[in-house]
Parts: sequence; C-alpha cells; structure tokens
Amino acid sequence: MNEFLEQFLIECRELVEQATGDLLALEQTPDDRERLDSAFRAFHTLKGAAGIVEFPAMGRLLHAAEDVLSSVRAGDHPVTVDFISHCLNSLDQVVQWLDAMEATGDAPADADAAADRLIARFTAGAVDLAGPVQPEGPPSWVAPLVGAFPDAKAARTAVCYRPDAACFFRGEDPLALVARIPGLLALRLRPAAAWPSLEDFDPFACNLVIEGLWSEGANGLADRLRPVSDQVQIHALQRLDWALSARARAILQAQVALVRQSSDEGFAGRLCSAARVAATVLSHAGLPGDGLAEALARSLDDSDPEPLARALTPLLEGTADSASDHDTDADPAGPSTLDATARALRVDVEKIDAIIKLTGELTVVKNAVGYAARLALDGEDIKVLAQTLKDQHALLERLTMELQRSVVAIRVLPLRHVFQRFSRLVREMTASLGKSARLIVGGENTEADKAVVEALFEPLLHVVRNALDHGVETPEARASAGKPQTAVLRISGFREGERVIVEVADDGGGIDPVVIRRVAAERGVMTAETLAGVSDDDVLELIFAPGFSTATTVTDLSGRGVGMDAVRSTIERLGGRVLVRSRKGEGTTIRFVLPFTVMMTRVMIVEAAGQVFGVPFEAIVETLQMSRDDISTIGAAEAFVLRSRTVPLISLARSLGLPDAPDRPPLVKAVVTAVGGQMSALEVDGFGERLDVMLKPMDGLLAGMDGVAGTTLLGDGRVLIVLDLQELLQ
Amino acid sequence: MTVTTAEDATIRLEGVCTLEDAETLARRLSETPEASVDWSDCEQAHTAVIQVLLAARPQMIGAPRDNFLREQVGRLIGPG
Repeated sequence: MNEFLEQFLIECRELVEQATGDLLALEQTPDDRERLDSAFRAFHTLKGAAGIVEFPAMGRLLHAAEDVLSSVRAGDHPVTVDFISHCLNSLDQVVQWLDAMEATGDAPADADAAADRLIARFTAGAVDLAGPVQPEGPPSWVAPLVGAFPDAKAARTAVCYRPDAACFFRGEDPLALVARIPGLLALRLRPAAAWPSLEDFDPFACNLVIEGLWSEGANGLADRLRPVSDQVQIHALQRLDWALSARARAILQAQVALVRQSSDEGFAGRLCSAARVAATVLSHAGLPGDGLAEALARSLDDSDPEPLARALTPLLEGTADSASDHDTDADPAGPSTLDATARALRVDVEKIDAIIKLTGELTVVKNAVGYAARLALDGEDIKVLAQTLKDQHALLERLTMELQRSVVAIRVLPLRHVFQRFSRLVREMTASLGKSARLIVGGENTEADKAVVEALFEPLLHVVRNALDHGVETPEARASAGKPQTAVLRISGFREGERVIVEVADDGGGIDPVVIRRVAAERGVMTAETLAGVSDDDVLELIFAPGFSTATTVTDLSGRGVGMDAVRSTIERLGGRVLVRSRKGEGTTIRFVLPFTVMMTRVMIVEAAGQVFGVPFEAIVETLQMSRDDISTIGAAEAFVLRSRTVPLISLARSLGLPDAPDRPPLVKAVVTAVGGQMSALEVDGFGERLDVMLKPMDGLLAGMDGVAGTTLLGDGRVLIVLDLQELLQ
Repeated sequence: MTVTTAEDATIRLEGVCTLEDAETLARRLSETPEASVDWSDCEQAHTAVIQVLLAARPQMIGAPRDNFLREQVGRLIGPG
C-alpha cells in the first residue's frame, strides 16, 4: 500500500471516530452546537479526503450526509434518531470501504450501489437540497478557475454563470446581479465565443461567461442566483479542488524544469515526454492544451526548449503556493480537533526535551569514564579508581533508567482510543438485545503502552458483549428484581503502580456459582469431585477455562465459540491477568490487570543445560529447592506436592530440546510458575539474578521459534533468551 | 447620454451606463480604435458596456468609485 493511501486510511478512521462520538453525543444533547459543528467538520473533511483519493462514491455519500448536517446546523431540520442513525450508517459504510481499501488497495467495485442506497435514505425523509447545487465531483470549469486564483483560499463556492445571448433583452444585467452577492473573492470574465471585430460586434447579445469564487456557502449563493438558476452552475469547493490544482501545478513545474534541463542527451525524447505529461495534466484539470503540440513541434524544429517551456509557464501563474502549503492549510470549514493518532505517534515536545536533557547527562558520564580510564593508565590507586567507577556506574544506572522510562513514555496512548468505540457499540448491542443499559466510561485519559491499548479492543469487546448478553437482565426481569430498568455498564481504567487496570462492571444478574458448577461438570471441564473441593470464588475462574460457555441460547452477540478463554489468553500475552468478581443478583466485574508497558520486562535468570535463560518475573510464583525423593513419577511425567497441590515438574532443558545434565543432582531446583491459572514448575540447574530488560522481539529466521518471547544482551555480551512460558508449557 | 467624447478623443463614461450606452460605446470605439476610455466618473455599468470594453480593450484612464467596477472588473480590463 502506498504511503498516500495509508495516510488516507489513518485520517479517515480518526475522522469516523470523531464523527461517531459527536453524533452519539448529539443524540443525548441535540442542541450541543459544538458537537454538531465538530461532526459537520468531520464529514466535510472525510468528503475532501474521498476526493483526494478519487473515490467518488464515498464523496457522494458524505456530501449527502453533509447537506443534511448543514441544514441541521442552519436550524432547518431537527436532530432526530433517524437522522443520527442515517449518519452512523453512512460512517459504517465508510469504515467497510476503508477496510476493503486496506485489504485490496482499491475502492470496492460495488461502492456506487451502496452509496446510492444510503443517499436515497437521506433524501427520502430529509430536507430536499436538490436546487442547483451540484452533488457530483467538480465540473471541468472548476479546476482552471481555482487554479487562476491561488490566493482565494477562503473561497467556499465556485460559480459559473453563462448568461444566454438574449438575456439583455429580458432586462437582465448579469454582472449587476453578481456584484450584489456578498463575499465575492475573485471574478473572471471570458467570451463564450471568440470576440468578433468591433464592426461586427453586437452589443445587445451577451457573449460572456462569468466565473467567480465566493466565501459564501453554496446554498446561500443558490438562493441569490435563483432568478437565473438555469444559466448557473454552482460548485461547493472542497480542499480537493485546491489540492488538485496545486498538485497539477507541481507536476507542470517539474515538466518545465525537465524541458529546460541543460543536457543534449535525449533532448527530443525528453521534450515529447514532458509535453505528453503536461497535456495529460491539463486535460485532467479541464484546461485546454491546444498550444502544446505546436510549441513542441517548434521546440523540436529549432532544437530550442524555450517555445515549449514558454507554453507551459503561463499555466503556472501564481505558483508561489506549493502542494505542501495546501496540505497544512486549515480546512475551510475549520480545523480538525483530533489530538492523537493511533498509528503515527504524536509526541509531546516536553517528552522529547526530557530525552535530550538525558542525552546531555549521559555525555557527561561518558567523559567521566574516559577520565577514569586515564587515571587507570597513570597507575592511580586501585581503590580510588574502583570508587570512581562505582560512582559513575551508579550515575549511569540512574540515567539509563530515566532514559528507558522517557522512551517508554513516548509510546503511551490514552485508553480513550479503545473506550470511545464502545459508546456506539453498546448502543447497538442493547438495541439488538432489547435491553436497556447506560454506559459510563471513566478514566479514559489513563495512559498505557500503545501496544497494550491497541490490543485491548478485542478482549474488551468480548467482555462487554458478555456483560450485556448474559449479565444484564431484560427490563422486565430487572423491574421484578426491584432494580432500575436501565442497567449501568461501567468501563473504567486507572493506574496502579506499574500496572494499568481496566474494568468492565455491570449491575446485572451476576454469575451463579451453582450454574457454573453444573455446566463445568456437564462439559467435563472438571470432575465433580474436584469441583466439590473448589470454593465459590474459585469456581468463577472456570468461565476462563477452554470450552466453557454458560449461555443457554446462542445469540447474535456472544456465544460464537470464542469464550472467555480467548480473552484470558490475549490479556496474558500482553503480560497481564484477568480477574473476575461476581455476586449473584448484584452484578459482575471483570478486571484486566495490565503492564503499563510491554517493552520493559523484568526477568529472572535461570540456568539449564549450561545456558542461561530469562523467565518473565510476572509468571513466577516462587523458587524452591527440594530433594529428588519428593518427586513422584507419573508415567513419563514428574510431579510434586506443593502445599497440598500437585504441581507438574517439567525439565526446562528437555522442553527446549536440550539434553538433560547426565547426572541429575539430588537437590532439585525449580521455578514455580502460574500461567493461565495453571501451576507448573520448571526444573533448572541454577537461579541467577533479576534484571529489567528491554525485549527485542525475535525476527528473521528465529521469528517462528516457539517458546521464546525475545532476546536481550547481558552485561558480559552474552545473548539472553527470554522464554514465553505460555507457549512453552502448552 | 453618459458616453461623451472629449476634444482629445478620450471617451468618457459618466454616471450610470446603461444597455443603450453599450451600443454608443461600441460604435465610437470602432470609429476611433485608438481612443482611450476614462471611466473615473462611472458609477455603474451594464454588463453590455463591460462586454464592449473587454472586446475592444481600449486604454483605460482613472478608476471608478464603485468597488465592484474598480476592483473586480478593472483588473480584468486592465489599464491598457
């Protein structure tokens, strides 16, 4: 996918998000002017973006939505549920198109039909804005007009008025009419047919084409020009119109440069190619390219590039504006208010400054180490030297820690990025389930690593679906239980030390441990005897067991075979844990405990088969040593009893395909781990220190290696392989 | 009559120039193509008048008081 399209997709998704948020807010408070304006701007910018990638179906759909929005803004049309739904449906369609474009790189073929269907809905019940406003992409006269007035960027509307020849006899005075319309920025008059000589000139026949750019909106102009509407074309300008001409000019400029290149090599070919490109650009922009062929012929005959170059330059009048100028230019409908993008990071300057400051301090330490080395060469007393080095090391440690923290801080995103998608989803899910629930989102400004935030959507969605589907009761059931009919669903996020907590809490029916026990026994998740020994609190954990689903009916929403076990494995892959708390009749809370960052990992070093490995600290329950006699052999496997629980013992060396030590020592060293709620112990040859490491993911040939989370370098230059226990123990 | 010819063959447009004036102006300009046109006192000009000026492109003198004529139309007809 090219960068241009990639940027388009990012931008559009942001705009869709913004518009969705605004529309939902509008539904709650229909007279929120700011939200309305913001939604309008988002639609408008989306439409412009569609034009830039030449996706007319999307442009048309958004134009229709924008028209209705603008009539709402003018107060001609109230904010209705239908109106919000139509707009949201359009955004859905846009997202589908974006997905298709992301997958194939092209606009889907059936886009026009889909756009027509949705546009029909807008025009059916909504205001009729037919009038003379052109719903299509820019007509051919727009580009040359806009190109002629590169300074008139405040223009919102372009008008082409072709008074018919007999208009003077009807008492019309076209220019007087035009002069009375406020907001005229630029005017162009050209003869409809070439001027005859003055002797043959008929002063009573109008032979003018009047074109102008106005800062007034298209609808206002349509009103003013209503008396002559049959002779007028009105085009609401989009950024596209400017961008096109700017791009066209940039290309033309490049052709002029190519033509003027002082090199005899390939002269004719260069000129022909430049002329061809220029002709294409001109026809695309709707400009006549008549003189070009002639100029090219003359240039070739005289072996002089100037005739062609001169033919091109007048087209470039007003080229002071470069394409980039237009890109950074504020949208005519107002600036976009987005503050952060999902894929490209926008970083606070303060964070960068902090890193620069740290870099400076690091340089100081580097110099100090150089000084210590010189002292060593000069035969300084070893104790003094050791002290100096120790001091520098302490300083260096502090600085690298700060540096790591600062770099990690760059990668953070607010949870808002995931949370904001739920207001829309909850609205739809409750509607399709015939339930009533209010979503309360809290702590959306809590930050977490980009990777964590981005991976959070799927598991959260699943939990929210479950809560609405299984947790929240029908309004009738709630009423008879003495609860308010509208349930409350809370999604909140907060920071707890180095951890980020995300919670989904409902005030629904809660999970009944009795039902869980029954289902678990029925589905063979656990035997009845084992179940009898498990407390009610622990029994809730069974909802995360693979193959467990308590839904008695499979609904649209949940029960698609992806259970809570998938949620748990996603969260654990991020280095987090999932907890459940529920009280029958009062509701359920699912809590994700996530690491603030996935980049820094705390590991413990263990030895096995003569090599060192890192084990993620968060998975370690404890380390222990025991006599080999305490280990019982069960078939080919080994296990031991730890606090009246049977824990399987796995040789780390063997699980990695390495040979076991030939003589197994009588004293067994084991690391007890908890992965996915399962306790297991890894037999190792020795324990080492704890380290904070920045994990480098495996790439290239090693990317497919199982059981390895990544690598990092140890102080002595050895590569430390950090294990992915979840993969290893499965 | 708002189209007059001064002694030095300058054509003067004064006050409100109507559709009928366009014909007069066209005739005078075709008789004396080198004549300049002084429109400093022109307050309003019918489209037909402006059309004649665009077709004939005479040397223009002065600037009309009317904003639209001065700023938008004047730029198109040019000083000469």
